[in-house]
Amino acid sequence: MVNELLNMASSDAGKMVLGLIGVLVFVVVNALLLTWAERKVAGHMQRRIGPKEVGPFGLIQPIADAIKLLGKEILTPAKVDKPLYYLAPVLIFVPVLVSFIVIPFDASLQVTDINVGILVILAFSSISVLSILMAGWGSENKYSLIGAVRSVAQNIAYEIPLLLALLPVIMLANSLSLKEIVEKQEGLWFVVIQPLAFIIYFIASVAETNRTPFDLPEAESELVAGYHTEYSGMRFALFFLAEYTNIFIVSAIAATFFLGGYQGPLLPGIVWFLLKSYFLVFVIMWLRWTYPRVRFDQLLNFAWKGLIPLAFVNLIITGGLLKI
Amino acid sequence: MSGIAEEIKASVMGAEPVEVSYPEKGYHCALETSPDKLPDIVRLFDEKRFYLECLLCTDYTDYLELVYLFNTHLSPCRVKVTLKVDPQQPVAPSMSSIYASAYWYEREIHEFYGVLFTGHPNMTYLFLHNDIHDYPLRKGKVPVPPEDKERLDSFKPGEQEDTFFINLGPQHPSTHGVLRVVLKMDGEYIEQAEPVLGYLHRMHEKMAENRSYQQFLPNTGRMDYLGPMSFNLGYVLAVERLCAISVPDRAIFVRIIATELNRICSHLLWVGAYLADLGALTPFLFVFDDREQIQDVLEGITGSRLTYCYFRFGGLYNDVDDQFIAGTKAFVKRMWGRFSLYEKLVTGNVIFVNRTKGIGTITGEQARKYGVAGPVLRSAGIACDLRKVESYSAYNEMEFNIPVGEHGDALDTYKIRIAEMENSLRIIEQALAKLPGGPFMAEKVPKKLKPPRGDIYQVVETPRGELGIYIVSDESDRPLRMKWRVPSFSNLMIFPELARGMLLADAVAILGSLDLVIPEIDR
Repeated sequence: MVNELLNMASSDAGKMVLGLIGVLVFVVVNALLLTWAERKVAGHMQRRIGPKEVGPFGLIQPIADAIKLLGKEILTPAKVDKPLYYLAPVLIFVPVLVSFIVIPFDASLQVTDINVGILVILAFSSISVLSILMAGWGSENKYSLIGAVRSVAQNIAYEIPLLLALLPVIMLANSLSLKEIVEKQEGLWFVVIQPLAFIIYFIASVAETNRTPFDLPEAESELVAGYHTEYSGMRFALFFLAEYTNIFIVSAIAATFFLGGYQGPLLPGIVWFLLKSYFLVFVIMWLRWTYPRVRFDQLLNFAWKGLIPLAFVNLIITGGLLKI
Repeated sequence: MSGIAEEIKASVMGAEPVEVSYPEKGYHCALETSPDKLPDIVRLFDEKRFYLECLLCTDYTDYLELVYLFNTHLSPCRVKVTLKVDPQQPVAPSMSSIYASAYWYEREIHEFYGVLFTGHPNMTYLFLHNDIHDYPLRKGKVPVPPEDKERLDSFKPGEQEDTFFINLGPQHPSTHGVLRVVLKMDGEYIEQAEPVLGYLHRMHEKMAENRSYQQFLPNTGRMDYLGPMSFNLGYVLAVERLCAISVPDRAIFVRIIATELNRICSHLLWVGAYLADLGALTPFLFVFDDREQIQDVLEGITGSRLTYCYFRFGGLYNDVDDQFIAGTKAFVKRMWGRFSLYEKLVTGNVIFVNRTKGIGTITGEQARKYGVAGPVLRSAGIACDLRKVESYSAYNEMEFNIPVGEHGDALDTYKIRIAEMENSLRIIEQALAKLPGGPFMAEKVPKKLKPPRGDIYQVVETPRGELGIYIVSDESDRPLRMKWRVPSFSNLMIFPELARGMLLADAVAILGSLDLVIPEIDR
């Protein structure tokens, strides 16, 4: 009896440990791949060809960059608020790792299926705002501070439409577990029933990840580099890594909630899942290399006056139709 | 033209305006005045809706001479008002309360000559720094007295309770060079903007006094590295006019082609850089593709790709060949097809329109007070293009429009620059069709130029607006004084007023719309 319990615990724990290692590896590989992809996409959109010298198609380029960043001296500006300054790049990674635990890559490929999966992701992703604020405040730099303040205002404004756009899907699926939501989409993706929610979610998620046209916290023509102006070397790389991982996470959630997750004919589930996610990642990159940046007041007006009312209307209609 | 002379005579007691020959001097009327009459005269010009084109100082050793150049936008009527100042105790009344543009010109003269302008609100350094011990542009060695040093002292922002200061520059991505603007911020709103210049100050005006006319030629392209052809052109036109050198027709038309190609090149870079300021990085690479074509063409005849020095007194450095003609024709054909692409990529973009519409709105009156020039002036609805209103070279034989704006905002300046590129293409096509044969260089241009005594003011329209070159010759082979009235300088002056009360992001959009070239401001 005791032995059996021990076995179960150890196997669960073993699964957890394996999963966490897998997540870590995926995070790093994904970020490296995305930096390469971003440069390639940017290159081809700008009549260039992007990296091509290091490795086939320049695929080794991000590794070379990573080594360069690792080899750099870790500089700490003299006047920074040390605890906050050191903690911020570490803390920005916590929500990233937690989110991966509940994302179903395939029917059986999920670290753990929590029945409040989406709540976990949303709750933890709010922490990243905190670390941006810490970075901006701790850097003792006015550009950083303005960037951080912008980021907080922006994230608060766009978290609401993001949540409101996910709610109709949760109502349709009758579950908060990501796996169940995917299972419910067999045959019909929720994007067909909820196109408006999908669009609202996608716009809000671009803003949540601070990407162009909503990249105000790090608007380089106004704020130099925003909240990570004072960071260099590996600390800067952590912010960078977190940004790209966040892009993948919001795309993965969009794929899970609206595009049927790992569901699809012929190909194995994980291939479908990655295809859908990376397609959305590509769209986000596409936007970045096409559009100028919006202004701060326009950005907030768009969220409060445009997206949030729309999302509410959509939610009420969905709720009403479900009751009937 | 003669009207103003009589009016001055009638309304200001004892003023004696003299009409002068415009083709020789570049201005229509000259007037010497005294410090007590100056405010009345300046006020009269203000009433008659003249703008203060330039304010400069010349050191004649025996006395300092302040020169105020007034002009009207649409029908050129340039009046030179001079004021003699005692070199021992140089004092003059400040005109900054009447003309906002005098504010910076007076500061400039103060730090270079030591002329104190009474009533000027802020006589601090504009270009120089605390370690200057002599006034740089004075002929003799005139030390800066301690009290003047104290007065000049560089700008020091003082923090207050609810505001903070932020340095936009000198190494900032959106100032395109080394412009520093100290912004007093209340949150994200700008309360006050104070440009601090001089990070690229090379004192070209002093260099001009120390070398012969020919030797100064390459300097002209270094001032405005984006529109060096216009600067070349202005300089050779001024010296040719001063020495009465006539230029063969072929050279005149080649000059027009080269200058207009360069203008397109400059406007293209502006489009790219401006959109990069607004956060769109892709158009930057697209315009560089077009720029490459122009640079390849110009490289073939000038030998350089950026700071050209192609024109010579009396003609050109070398003749154009068939390859140049063919290359230019190919470029013109290609460029006509590119506007629709920019239209799709940029002009119709809702984010771009929202960022620029109603931002940095300039009224015609503001434009006049600040002496704003070029596309920024035309955005305020004033159809002043010196190629037309004060034609030089053979621009009067060309057919082209002067695009003007309706609102005077940043979006208008964008539209005007695009339309100007189209007009430049038209000019190039006409000049190519008319291009005559014959020599490309005048015969018997002396190796050593010694122009007759006197002064001259020559204007040209650069991509950024009115460039004025004022040369005083004392019959030696070096100019006694050479003043460059540059368009970016006067355009930057209006920035503090436009930026007040705007968001930081708007300040970047406004600064970009002025199309500033910092080496030109700093000279």
